[in-house]
Formats: sequence, C-alpha cells, structure tokens
Amino acid sequence: MDIKTITTLAFLMPATAAMAVDSPISGVVEPKCSIWTETAGVYGHPLPYKLTTKPADGGVKASIRVDIAQADYYKTKFTHPNSFSSSPTLTDAVSWTGSTVVGAVGVAGMSAYEAAKVTYNNVTEFNMTLAGSTWFTIESEASYGSTKSLPAGNYTALIVAECIAK
Amino acid sequence: MYSKVILALCFVFCTTAYAHEMTPAYPQLKSSYIEGVLSAKMKLFNRRQDVSYYLIEVFTSDFKPIPFASSSISTVSSKVIKVGYNKSKIFDVYIRSNDIDRAVYICTQSKLFKQTDQISLITSRVCSKIKDK
Repeated sequence: MDIKTITTLAFLMPATAAMAVDSPISGVVEPKCSIWTETAGVYGHPLPYKLTTKPADGGVKASIRVDIAQADYYKTKFTHPNSFSSSPTLTDAVSWTGSTVVGAVGVAGMSAYEAAKVTYNNVTEFNMTLAGSTWFTIESEASYGSTKSLPAGNYTALIVAECIAK
Repeated sequence: MYSKVILALCFVFCTTAYAHEMTPAYPQLKSSYIEGVLSAKMKLFNRRQDVSYYLIEVFTSDFKPIPFASSSISTVSSKVIKVGYNKSKIFDVYIRSNDIDRAVYICTQSKLFKQTDQISLITSRVCSKIKDK
C-alpha cells in the first residue's frame, strides 16, 4: 500500500465515525382518552312537528369516535338531547327520544360493549375495557306537542360525550 | 357498486374528525406556593377546529362541583381556557386542602358558541381522576 492510499484512509476514518452519531426521537405513551367528533349530526324535518336524525327522514346520525390509549382506564358517557339549547319560543311540550349504540369497533372484543352498556334517562354509559378506537352512533328525535307544527327558526340541540377516568 | 364507492368517498371527504384530549389521566396533587392549597398540572390538547374555549371543572365522586382556582389567564373567566386549534396548553388547578378529601375529578368541557348555524352540536368532556391523596 502506498503512502497516498494510507493518508486518504486516515482522513476518511474519523469522517465515517462522525456519521454514526445517534439522533433519538423520544415519546411517551400514557393513559389517554380522545373524543373525536366525526359527524356532528343533522336533524331532518320529515313532518311539520318532527325533527329526527334518522337517515330515512333526511337526517344524519351523529358519530363520535373514542380512542383509548391504555385498556381499562376510562368509561364513556353519551347524553342525547332532551331539550333545545336554542330555539324559537315554544308554547307546547317537546317529547324527546334517542339512543347511543356502538357503530364500529377497532378491536373485535369491543363488540361486547353494546350488550354491557348501561342506559338511564337520556344517558348511555360504556365501560372501555380495551385499548383502541370505538365509534358510537347517536340518534335523536324531537316531536312538538301532539302534532303541532314547529315554529320557523333555528333549532340547536346538544349531545354530550364524556370520557371519565375510572 | 357505484353507491359503495360514493359512500366510501363520502366517509373520507364528508366527515371531518376533531378531538379533545386531556392528560394525565391520574393527576397528582402537590403543595403549591400558597399555604393550605394544593395544585395539579394538567395538559389540554385541542384538535377540535370548531372549539376554542374549554371550561375547567372540579367534581366530587358524584359530580357535585367543588370550588377551585386555575392558572388560566383567559379574559372570559378564570375557569375558561382558550386553546387554539391543534394547540396544547398546560394549566394548573388549585384546590384548598379542606376540599381535598371530596375532590375526585378534574374535567375540561368544550364550550360552543350559542349563535351557530349548526342544528346539532357535540360537547365533549374529558375527566381525569385525582390520584389517591
């Protein structure tokens, strides 16, 4: 080996060593619940006295995704509306119905959430025993008086989605 | 076949997902710089484009409100925090030591504007459970 090759190699060696420096990317996984509002839901107006999210009546059901990072740390609660948060003046009573069901699941075992859900008043509770994503579908219907026409104006109703650490 | 394609495309383009997150799930109360007051550090992440304000709440085990203070410097209220879209905010919650035994949950709830064109709205609330004192 001639002196020229040895000198070139001597210069290259520290240069390659410098390229081997690590550049770490760090991250932390901690128990976390994310509430994703995927579809806000829209009321259809099939009859003068009725507002409903049923697709057959021109409505759109609300869809909420809940992501759980660690299994068995959270429960979720969904409250479908039982009053308008804003509306024109209503002189008669409004009767409300609604429901929350498991729409789709990210892990097969989550299908059991539907059978194990607890429902009271207008609230539905689910025990999130598995990590992953679950989609919940919320339906709501409001009927004014017996068959009275709803006055013209803007109507707003609120769905409450909650994630509570156990 | 076409209806399935349209439905699949609609699923991708017609819906926009927004999220609300709060950590830690189990905050620990520590002594604050004020005597007789404990504090917990919380982090809120707002991925809801339709929400800019969140209400901070502290509850008992049966969701009865408990008095508290926060480090929020929002102009609206000391209990309302402003968080921009895709931004996170760290805030402190201060609870009197007299109320410690009753305080169980620290929650944040999204606040929506009353005047809106949307007919159905979703409010999200995430609650962390205070670690055993």
